[in-house]
Amino acid sequence: MDPKEIKKILLVDDDADLLEQNKLLLESKGFQVITAENSKDGMKLFYKELPDAAILDLMMEQMDSGFILSYKIKKTEHGKKIPVFILTSATYETGYKFSVTTDEEKEWLKCDGILNKPVAVDELIAKIEKFQS
Amino acid sequence: MSVEIKENNILIVDDEKGIRVATQLLLEDEGYNVISADCGEKGIEIGASKEFDIAIIDLKMPDVEGIEVLSNIKSNFPNTICFITTAFASYDTAIEATRKGAFGYIPKPFTPEELIYNIEQGLKQRNLLLEAERLRKEKEEKLLEIANEKSRLSTIIKTINDGVLVINLNGQLSYFNYAALRYLNISDFKIGDKILDKMPEQIINLYQKITSAEKFLIKTFTTQIDILPNNELCIEAALTPIANPDGSLAGVVIILSNITQFKKIELIKSQFVSMVAHELKTPLSAVQGFLNIILDDSLKLNEEKKKEYLQRSLIRLKSLCDLVNDLLDISRMEIKSKQREIVDVIINDVIDSTVNFLEIELKKKKISVDKNIQESLPPIKADYNEISRIFINLLSNAIKYNKDEGAIYITSHQENNFIIIKIRDTGIGIKPEEKEKLFNEFYRAKNEKTRNISGTGLGLSIVKKIVESYFGKIEVDSVYGYGTTITIKLPIN
Repeated sequence: MDPKEIKKILLVDDDADLLEQNKLLLESKGFQVITAENSKDGMKLFYKELPDAAILDLMMEQMDSGFILSYKIKKTEHGKKIPVFILTSATYETGYKFSVTTDEEKEWLKCDGILNKPVAVDELIAKIEKFQS
Repeated sequence: MSVEIKENNILIVDDEKGIRVATQLLLEDEGYNVISADCGEKGIEIGASKEFDIAIIDLKMPDVEGIEVLSNIKSNFPNTICFITTAFASYDTAIEATRKGAFGYIPKPFTPEELIYNIEQGLKQRNLLLEAERLRKEKEEKLLEIANEKSRLSTIIKTINDGVLVINLNGQLSYFNYAALRYLNISDFKIGDKILDKMPEQIINLYQKITSAEKFLIKTFTTQIDILPNNELCIEAALTPIANPDGSLAGVVIILSNITQFKKIELIKSQFVSMVAHELKTPLSAVQGFLNIILDDSLKLNEEKKKEYLQRSLIRLKSLCDLVNDLLDISRMEIKSKQREIVDVIINDVIDSTVNFLEIELKKKKISVDKNIQESLPPIKADYNEISRIFINLLSNAIKYNKDEGAIYITSHQENNFIIIKIRDTGIGIKPEEKEKLFNEFYRAKNEKTRNISGTGLGLSIVKKIVESYFGKIEVDSVYGYGTTITIKLPIN
């Protein structure tokens, strides 16, 4: 897929403020952004809209709900073709060590990267584009 | 010339009066205590009555033979030095007397010098015998002490909580206690077993490190091992080399300590810290995001939007502040449990003052408060601030999660030894699956109805901590969409 083809990005985050900020920033870069505030709605929206990329918050209803959502998305035919990133403020400094480094983790997690909050939108776009190429 | 008084007691047994008296006088002149017997029978009797240092026994007496007197004395007091005297000196009698325990044989007649010389020799011998006996006794006592010490040590090792194992250089078990079996989760092994293969890998590695070292390592190596998964059994193993008397390596002693509880606490603590860090970072990220957006001219936001984002930043900062305050409360409470100010607390008064305290919030949402309290409830012994914190948190929730123009119903009454307080609201309620998690730290029910309500997720967990620290109980009852009832039971004593 050519990076230029990425038009529509699905954002799922239960923090309304962060959701709005990322939506605004991505829109300013020319993307179309669709949003959901929980994984259930996120999954529905995914099926309905078939976005070109998905960015999911890690901790929503549960600690690992972002992982579960990404797992579900990556299991679909469409999900296999698009980049899926997980956003989290749970990082090494906060005591959680989430990473997708080992093969086993990659096999299970299936997401294409974990980004720490707050993420600069340019970095986010760079990651998406890197995935495409 | 003064005579040196000697402490030594001498017994003379002789039927011949002349010799008996002359000997006694001679020895008394030398300073000895002397007692004499004029026949064998008396000799036996006196000889049995106390221990003499020296006995001088005539061999031939009319009633009892001197040899018999000698045997008698020797059987009672083996360290008494006995001399046999006789005019009928013969080689055979000398041998027999010696065999029966005589120290010497003095042929009659003897000169005073001969007698004194023999007595002195005898006393020297007696001192040697006494010294030997003293040493023997001492040794026996020491051996007994060592045996006692060994069994005491063994009992101590068997009963201590730590596991103890000794493994020799062949990898064989040479000592263990039962705690070691328990901690290694091995059901049976016995002294002499090749135990090393059954050990956890970490222990094997350290054992090999110690036994393969070129020099004797005066050092203890420790390692932590998960014997059972999920923190069910964690041990710390400390391996120390033990030396032979010549300084060479004899084996390795392994001490196993159960650190399961410690590990569990450590885990809870680190999870709590992780959660706190995460909860602190989330609002900070939101504020940082808003500020970046406001400052980003390329986004061309209008003033109204900028103002909205500043206001939303302020809301996040306020919730951050609340969170920090709740965290401080929790840490204060942990100190508090040690330094409470216990007074008589009248629950109804606390309820009244809390309602007053929250008046502004109540008015803002036009929520009515309906109290149905039992008058003259007995006071409870508690820290006023802690009890007050319970009601502030519960009533704040009842306001926050209530609908506009809703109501709060508060009842209190006594039941046996408990005061029971119920706080019911007409708010959004709690889903059944969320009830369980409600008291978890940082847990907040997340759904479309709670998204605009700020909170730290610590309020109820603080309430629960306080209530339980007074041996009370807290229960939640709720119909989703219709309201929640929290019931608190506090013991009066």
